[in-house]
Order: sequence, then structure tokens, then C-alpha cells
Amino acid sequence: MWSRKSAMLGSLAVAMYLLGLTLRNSQLVTIAVVIFVFLTWAALFGGHADVSASGRRAEEWSGEEGVSLSNVSAMRKLSSARIFEDGDVGVTLRMQNHSALGKILEVKDRVPEVMRIKDGANYILMELGPRRETFIEYTVECPLRGFYSLGPVAVRVQDPFGLFHKEKELHVYNDFLVFPKMEDLKDTFVKSRVPKIFTGAVNIRQPGPGSEFYSLREYFDGDSFRAINWSAYARSGKLMVNERERDAVSDIILIVDSRAVSETGPVSRNALVYSTRAAASLAKFFLGRRDSVGLITYGDEVVSIDRDTGKKQLYVILTKLAGAMARGNIPLQVVVNRILPHINKGSPIIVLSNLEDDPTIVNALRDFRARDFDVTVLSPSSLEFEFDAKRLDRTGYEVLKTERDVLISELRGLGVNIMDWEPDMLLSTALAGARGF
Amino acid sequence: MATKSGDTAHLYDGKTVRSSAPSRKKLAGNASATGEIPKDAIPTVEIPTFIESLLGGPLVPKMKFLPADKMVQNLQLGCYGVLIALGVLTYIVTPAVGTIWFAVTGSMTIATILQLMIVVSAIGTGFWGTMSRDARFMLASYILFILSVMRFASSKVSLSQDLFNFGDSELLLTILVVIYAVLLVMYFELSNGVLRFSMLDTSIRTREVYVMNVKKIIGKYHRSLVINPLIAGTLAMLVLSVNTILPAFISLFSEQTALRMSESVELISVYGVALGTLFVFIVVGALFALDLPTHLQSWRENKD
Repeated sequence: MWSRKSAMLGSLAVAMYLLGLTLRNSQLVTIAVVIFVFLTWAALFGGHADVSASGRRAEEWSGEEGVSLSNVSAMRKLSSARIFEDGDVGVTLRMQNHSALGKILEVKDRVPEVMRIKDGANYILMELGPRRETFIEYTVECPLRGFYSLGPVAVRVQDPFGLFHKEKELHVYNDFLVFPKMEDLKDTFVKSRVPKIFTGAVNIRQPGPGSEFYSLREYFDGDSFRAINWSAYARSGKLMVNERERDAVSDIILIVDSRAVSETGPVSRNALVYSTRAAASLAKFFLGRRDSVGLITYGDEVVSIDRDTGKKQLYVILTKLAGAMARGNIPLQVVVNRILPHINKGSPIIVLSNLEDDPTIVNALRDFRARDFDVTVLSPSSLEFEFDAKRLDRTGYEVLKTERDVLISELRGLGVNIMDWEPDMLLSTALAGARGF
Repeated sequence: MATKSGDTAHLYDGKTVRSSAPSRKKLAGNASATGEIPKDAIPTVEIPTFIESLLGGPLVPKMKFLPADKMVQNLQLGCYGVLIALGVLTYIVTPAVGTIWFAVTGSMTIATILQLMIVVSAIGTGFWGTMSRDARFMLASYILFILSVMRFASSKVSLSQDLFNFGDSELLLTILVVIYAVLLVMYFELSNGVLRFSMLDTSIRTREVYVMNVKKIIGKYHRSLVINPLIAGTLAMLVLSVNTILPAFISLFSEQTALRMSESVELISVYGVALGTLFVFIVVGALFALDLPTHLQSWRENKD
């Protein structure tokens, strides 16, 4: 493939040659001839003559296995396939030259843009001897959660003067996952109104305090008058009371807002980043307390993870949070309508949202409260993120802040435990603030 | 959202304020006092200019080079040497006769002074460009050198200074012109190499690039700096000596025709050079058409 330099020299040579003939100037023609010879020699022995010879452009060239690069192969190994934000991944790239000719190669292992090379280099210029291999090691720092892929490996050979080059992408990919980082929480101040007496997410088929009907039995002293089933009494003539099925352990529902608007602000400081980190921290805390935790993310679709307990559930939640993308604009009301029939009354619900661009928020949270759910809202303020990034001026900020305060006050009036989560506030502080501590 | 007037009433138009705050994304574009879009909200797309495309990099380097290392210093020294030799040879092989300034002024003295000034300027800008590693001065130097050779000539090479009587020998004249052309191309390459290796060296030292077996890579470049000019010079000599080679070949069949050919004005003029070039590059073109380089490469790669 011609480089810009060779294209410039080629054009210059043609121009000089024609001008030399026109002006009958042999010096010009001689310079043109020398340049032609330079180019020809580089094309012949630069290790990429096949491209020049075929006269095909690189993009038209279907034969990926070019002569110079067909014998070069790459393999990659990662130190870990799952890490947390701000963690490091060690990469070992193994380059092999299977041919009998030594090569000077430019190798660039493609790393996702958000990552930073911490140690070593992913761009290497090397002389790889005949039938030799070499190992390239570098470390990348992963500051943001997500699914990532390393690769492809771009390999280039060029002549010493950089006149012609040939490139090839070795399609070697390695996927890895960056989980949102977690904060250690001492207490969340969130407790279920349904007493927790048994661990595990299974339904307990036995009578006890709960919400669902279980059976009828005769009245004993001490039973609440409110539990008496008067219809049954009328039928049988005996005082009968309703027994209820004991609810399982505390079911904690985490709702994460991943609509497009949640990503407003800088890449590393926005509501979605804070929400996912908070959800991960809360999930870890509750699962550590042996509660069952469910997760719902909503953006362009409502994605839910059913309640469960244990370490496996933590990784399921973390994986889902790692892949949460800021897309769509589904209102919270849709989520509420969908999940209400499936969650036990009294279960604590924690909503993580910046509360923006959703006119249904008040009604949706009112629906939760009307059914006696314990609702906590942690609202990372994207106003603060944008104001800190100097994208908002003081006046605009004040106006929007006032609007936000009005909304928060209204929600607080509904009995929602809500906290305007400012960027520098720790999650534990925000939670304590929300719960009125 | 604040506008110049400070009126925020439009924020509430058609909206129930208590329901939610307005979309921040929509507001990002006009939330400042002046209403302009924040600079960091617009992704920057850098498209290289025409000149940058030609030079293979930015004309004004955005990368600030670190102080030159030994390799770059050596290249700079080589470049200075080539530049001086090129300057002298340019002055010798490009007499003021036939230049544009001679045609315009009609004065040999003024034309000579102007021609000399151009050559000196070419050397000066070349020196400065190489020393400061600034592509703009290098480009100016290239243009001045090319400008100095743009002249109407009478097909035959003439010299402005002939202290060693090169003009008496056709071969020596040809050698002189070939050396001049090779030096010019070498100057292009060396000055370009100064920039390339400065960028590479800076990238290495800022840990953007890691280089394995530096000595071998540099050694290959050094070898090429010697071998390529020799080959280019030899081949150019071959092309330029067509007026000798062709009659010698024809003499195998007819002495008379060969004699007439060697005395032919066309063959000893620039058109003879053009003919030689045509012959050589027909052969080269045929090699490429037969895909010989691929076969050659393939054979070299796969031999035991």
C-alpha cells in the first residue's frame, strides 16, 4: 500500500519527468528517474510488493493472507476476565513469525478507548527474527464498568524509508468484564416490615405474619379480632380466623434508571455510573445479610433479575450492572406496573435515578407508597455533574436546582425516603440522609 | 435555563414542573448565559489538510519533540553534510542561463545573483528546518531546490562553474547530474528521517511505543541509507547512458546504424533519457505484471 510519502514522491517524479521533457531539462528528468528507482526498489524488496504488483488497493484486497504477513500470528492471554472498576488487567501478547525471513513489524494491540495503559505498551516496533516468537506484556487500567474486548491486533510491515506498507488485522479477541466498584456499607438503615425469620428466597409454606391467604382455623384466645373471618363464622357458627402465609425473607428490590438521560454529565461522573456503583454496593450488603435481592434496570427495555440470595446472585447482578447501557426513555410508571404484581408487600424498594425527564415519577412512586412499600430513592444529581464540568452557568443551575428541590419535596411528602445525592457524598452518607439519620 | 434576558418562563411551557426536571441533554446546548453550545459537548474531528496529507503528518507538529537523541543527532549531521554538498552541486549544475529570472530580467548578473540567493535560501531553510525539526522550513527548502532546477535548457547539461573540466567528458557530466539527483533525494529522505525518528524517539520516551531490538531496526535503516542511493545512482546511470548502451547493442547487428544512432541528436538529448527511462520501466512494469515480487517474496519466506 502506498504511503502518503511515496504518493507525494511519485507525483513529484511524474511532474518533474513531464516538465523535464517539456523544458528539455535533463536534470529534472534525472531527478525523476532517481525517484522512480527509489520507489521501485522499495516496492520490490520492501516486503509488500504483492500489493503494488497486483495493483489492488488494500480495501479491495480480499486475500488477507498477504505474503509478508501470512506467516505472522498472534495469541493473547489476560490475567483476569472479571475485574472491578479501577482494577488492572495484565495482557500478554505472543507474536510468532513462522517464516524464514526476519521482519520488522509494527504491532498495535487495540485497547478500548476508555482504558489507560498503566505499564508497558500496546504499540510495539520490533524486529522478529526468522521462526522466532516474542512476548509483549502490558497492563491496562479499567476505570469504567462494562463489557470490553481487546483486539484485533494490527500488524504492519514497511520498508525502512516508510514508502510502502502492508497492514493486516489479526482477529484475536479477548473479552472481559469490568464490574462497578463497590463501597463497603456498615448499615443501610433499610429493613423489611415483614419480619425476617428464615433465610433463603423460597416461599415458606407455613402460617405466619404475611400478606397472602393460607388457611382458616378456629379462633384462639389472643388472636386479633381483625383476623376473624366473619363469613366463615356465619356459615359454621364458630369463630374462624384467617391464617396468612408467612412471607419469605426480606426481598430487596433495586431499581436502576438506565435511560439515556441518566448518562448526562461527564463520562466518568454521571448518574448512571453512580447508580450502578450504588446498586452493586447495596446488593453486596443485602446479600451478605442473607436477604434476597432482585434488580430491575430500565432504559429502552425493562430488564429484571429475579430475587435470589447468595454469591452467585451477586455476580449475576454485577454482570447485569456492568452491561447497563444508557438508552431509551421508558417511564418509571411502566416499570412499576410491571413489577407490582410480583413483589411482596412491605418489601423495601430502592430506586436509583436522577429523576429527570420522566413525568410519571410522582405517580409511580405514589403507587408504591399506596401499597405500603418502603421506598428509598437515591438521586445522583446530574445538575451537579454538569455544573462541576462547567456545562451549566450559575443561573441555569439555580433554576433547575429549584425545580429539582420542588420535586424532591413533593416525593418526600408522599412518604418516600429520598436523598439528593451530591457527587462527593459517600453512599453510606446518602443512605443515612435518605432514611432520616 | 438561562437566556440573555434571564427569562425562564419558557421552561415551564407545556410542562408540569412538579413532575420532573427538564431533560438535561436538551438543555446542555443552551444552558449558558450566551446560549452557545459548550465546547466539550462537541466531539472534535480532525481532518488532515492537503499539505498534511502530502507530508504524511502535521505541517506544524502538535507533538513537542523531546531533545534529539543520538540517532536523530546523527541524522541531522548527515542531513547538514548532504545539504552542503547538494547546495554546491545545485549551484554548479543549474547555471542562471535558462532560468525564469534570466528570461524576465535579461541580465546574467541579476539572474546569477537571484539563482544564488535561491540556492542559499534553500540551504538556509533546510538547515533551520533540520535543526529545529520543523516541517514547514523543510518544505520551503524542498520547493526552493526544485525551483532552482526549473529552467529552460538546451537538452545538454551545462555547468555554471567548471573548475575540474567536467564539461569535457560526457560520462563525468552524467555522473555529476546523477550524484546531484541522488543527493537531492537523499536530502528529502534524511530530513524526513529526522522528523520520523524524532517522533518515534519522543513516542518511545513518553512510553507510547515500545521498541524491541532498536539496534537492528536502526541498523537496517542505516544500511538502506547506503544501499538505496547506490542502487538508485547505478540504475539512473544506466538510464542516462542509453545513448551509449543502445548503439553498442545495435552495433552487434549493424555498425553503420549504431554509428548514426550514437551521433543522433535525439538520442543524446533529453529525449534519449526519456527513451532510456521508458525501456527500463517497461522491464520493471513487466516484472510487476508477472507478479514477480510476490513469487520472490514467497520463495524467500518459505525456503528452509
